[in-house]
Amino acid sequence: MSHQIISIAGLIYILAMPIYIVYILTKNNKVGYGATFTLTIGAVVQIFGFIQRVIEMYEINHSIMRSIPITNLYESLIFFALCLIVGYLFIEWKYKKKSLGVFASLIAGITIGLTDVLGVTKEVQPLVPALKSNWLLAHVTLSFISYAAFGISFITGLLHIIMESQTKKSFKYIFSTTLLAFIVFMFISVIIDILNGSNPKNVKIFHSTLGNPSTFISLISWMVLIAFILTAWKFGHLLNKTLNSLKIDSNFLEDLTYKGIAFGFPIFTIGGLVFGAIWADQAWGRYWGWDPKETWSLITWFVYAFYLHAKFIRGWRGTKTSVIAVIGFIVTIFTYLGVNLFLSGLHSYGSM
Amino acid sequence: MSKIDKWNEKIWSFFASVDLAIALFIFISTGAALGTIIPQQSEPEMIVRFFSNFFSPTTAMKAYEIVSLLDLNNVYHSWWFTFLLFMFALNLIVCSVERLPYLLKSFKTVSTALPVEVLENMPFKKKIENVSPDVSHKISEILKKKGFTVNIFETQDGIQIQGRKWSKTRLAVYLTHLSILIILSGTLIGTFFGFRGSMNIIEGRGLNFAISDSGKAIPLGFEVRCDRFEVEYYENSSIPKAYRSYIRILENGEVIKFNGKENVVIEVNQPFSYKGITFYQASYGFQPSEHAEFRFSYFDHNNMEHNISAKFEEKFNIPGTSVKASVIDFSPALGIDEQGRLFNMDTNMINPAVLVRFEQGDKKTEQWILTKIPETWNTPYGKLKFHEIWGAQFTGLQVRKDPGVPLIYIGSLFLCVGLFISLFLRPVTLFAKLSKNRLDFYCPSSKVSSISEKQIDKIINKLKGEKV
Repeated sequence: MSHQIISIAGLIYILAMPIYIVYILTKNNKVGYGATFTLTIGAVVQIFGFIQRVIEMYEINHSIMRSIPITNLYESLIFFALCLIVGYLFIEWKYKKKSLGVFASLIAGITIGLTDVLGVTKEVQPLVPALKSNWLLAHVTLSFISYAAFGISFITGLLHIIMESQTKKSFKYIFSTTLLAFIVFMFISVIIDILNGSNPKNVKIFHSTLGNPSTFISLISWMVLIAFILTAWKFGHLLNKTLNSLKIDSNFLEDLTYKGIAFGFPIFTIGGLVFGAIWADQAWGRYWGWDPKETWSLITWFVYAFYLHAKFIRGWRGTKTSVIAVIGFIVTIFTYLGVNLFLSGLHSYGSM
Repeated sequence: MSKIDKWNEKIWSFFASVDLAIALFIFISTGAALGTIIPQQSEPEMIVRFFSNFFSPTTAMKAYEIVSLLDLNNVYHSWWFTFLLFMFALNLIVCSVERLPYLLKSFKTVSTALPVEVLENMPFKKKIENVSPDVSHKISEILKKKGFTVNIFETQDGIQIQGRKWSKTRLAVYLTHLSILIILSGTLIGTFFGFRGSMNIIEGRGLNFAISDSGKAIPLGFEVRCDRFEVEYYENSSIPKAYRSYIRILENGEVIKFNGKENVVIEVNQPFSYKGITFYQASYGFQPSEHAEFRFSYFDHNNMEHNISAKFEEKFNIPGTSVKASVIDFSPALGIDEQGRLFNMDTNMINPAVLVRFEQGDKKTEQWILTKIPETWNTPYGKLKFHEIWGAQFTGLQVRKDPGVPLIYIGSLFLCVGLFISLFLRPVTLFAKLSKNRLDFYCPSSKVSSISEKQIDKIINKLKGEKV
């Protein structure tokens, strides 16, 4: 089955992460090649799984155009991970720098791992009539390629902020450590949600922690979250030191953040907004209808437009722009997952 | 300068500022985000209920008052949101009018040698010592090979080389801005000269008007007749595969032909347009009408097929026999469980079934006949296959006329082209100064200097390579 092959690819990504760490610590070239090799093997396995899934879908839908596995939440998460890894491998090959490999392999591994814990359906499903369109391919693949590009700019942007913020009272330091603490908290919280949820199909995020019906547990959860944030704030400088000792060039990070957005923004515009509008025009009889997904895509677009204007017209440089890049990806993630989890709308076939 | 002029200038520069653009990005985003959280265009009770999830009932009522005051239950059509979009358009226009002439002028002016102080103030500098004096030719050759337009000046301080590449791509930003204005004007045209509505047509019936979203009837000028509506399901499942309406267009009592055919099929993702009005498959439903009929095939001893159609409780003759039959019950989705009992699976017509009463003299028997289970077709009086019930479903079509759509498409095209050019082909300007055996590189743009820096590094590497 294709999803088993893809889970193996996820394991290989997770395996590549410690090799990248060893490489960064030892700077041994052989280890470096080993890390890249492992990650490439993971990507090849995933591509094999992808093709396998195409074949499985073809058996149901009898059409190549209707058999591209980007039709539900599981398939889109998997495709995002693949884009991220391929994008990262390209950057590694082009800039000959491996320091970001830790984060790329970790995020891709977690994304694939998430599909296991989230309990999303992995079975190949027949296409519902709404998705039977040639625009599906153009709209969804380009959207996820741009999400992956934004994801890379998020990694580099966040690293850049952490590296550059020295004083504990500065906004950037507080921003980056709080964000990290929140990501860790959310990750743990989601796992608890899933362990508690009897039916994996209707897991409500934060239901067993922050949003618990019992005020006591909810209060404790909030305190734990605050404790997380304070701990991250207290020990954030250690992260800063580690990153600085890795000798990552901060100009390189800033440049890559920009490149991720400069590549992702036009792709997102054409694939996400324009192709989405054309498809909506054909399927629903309107090109724009303020559906939550559409609205949040527009907000994402505005955030990155803000980034470009701040950079080119206002001449912002340094971590100021990286903060926007990080916020941009948070909004992107909300557009992608949050809208389906928290809001309702026409894009609900992506729900769990 | 008079007071009025001063004010004019202030207002102009307010609209020309990027700060306004950034503020509008933030305001529009926040407003739009609010609209996705607060229930839109719904009953007041819904909104109060929504707020009572978070607040006490009295606070929820207060929250509703604020919502209705600011039109937060109809954000996207509220006066303030429209105003923000209008400001956005105005900002785009003024920005472009302000900056475009400067840019155009800069293309026409002949470049001159820059004073050394200006070069020294540039954010990026790089120097190489001990170069041969004839290196300027090499540099200009390398630059030309890389697609730069090169100008060389003899100055008091030595030779100045200026390289410019892709400087005209600066215009693409204005194409992008123009495209947004085109899209916005397309939406305006759609709002004022178009309409949106829907029509529910029962199988076998026709309508010549649509109902707008606000409940008004919109005459179409022709009749849309629905011959048939069907839902196709994937094999052995209740997952729909296709929704299909077979329609005909009648104008002045005559059927219009399209490509020689009278029938038109509308499916999801396959709309149909006539006279600028487009019809989309949107919904369907069950609504028995008095002309609804049950359609059967009867196979006699010689396996001859006879088509039969009958209305509800209408008696029909079984061909070749004296048996009278009639339909006395109907179920849209009848299934048989493991014990052989019948049960209703669904409200959709996944497996329509009829209860048929057979009368032969005084003898009366009843039997369920299920469309998809052939065993049930065998009756004591021969094989009676139930096909479908026709005239009991309606197709829900979305109807739209929007003359603004071509502008939206043109605007979208410009938007993509403009963005691709302005982000992938950024202008690069390089300066080099050669005095005696010292070569200095300068780069004026502080904004994306790292890109230009790389270009310079490449050129230096190439120079070094050639020297070796």
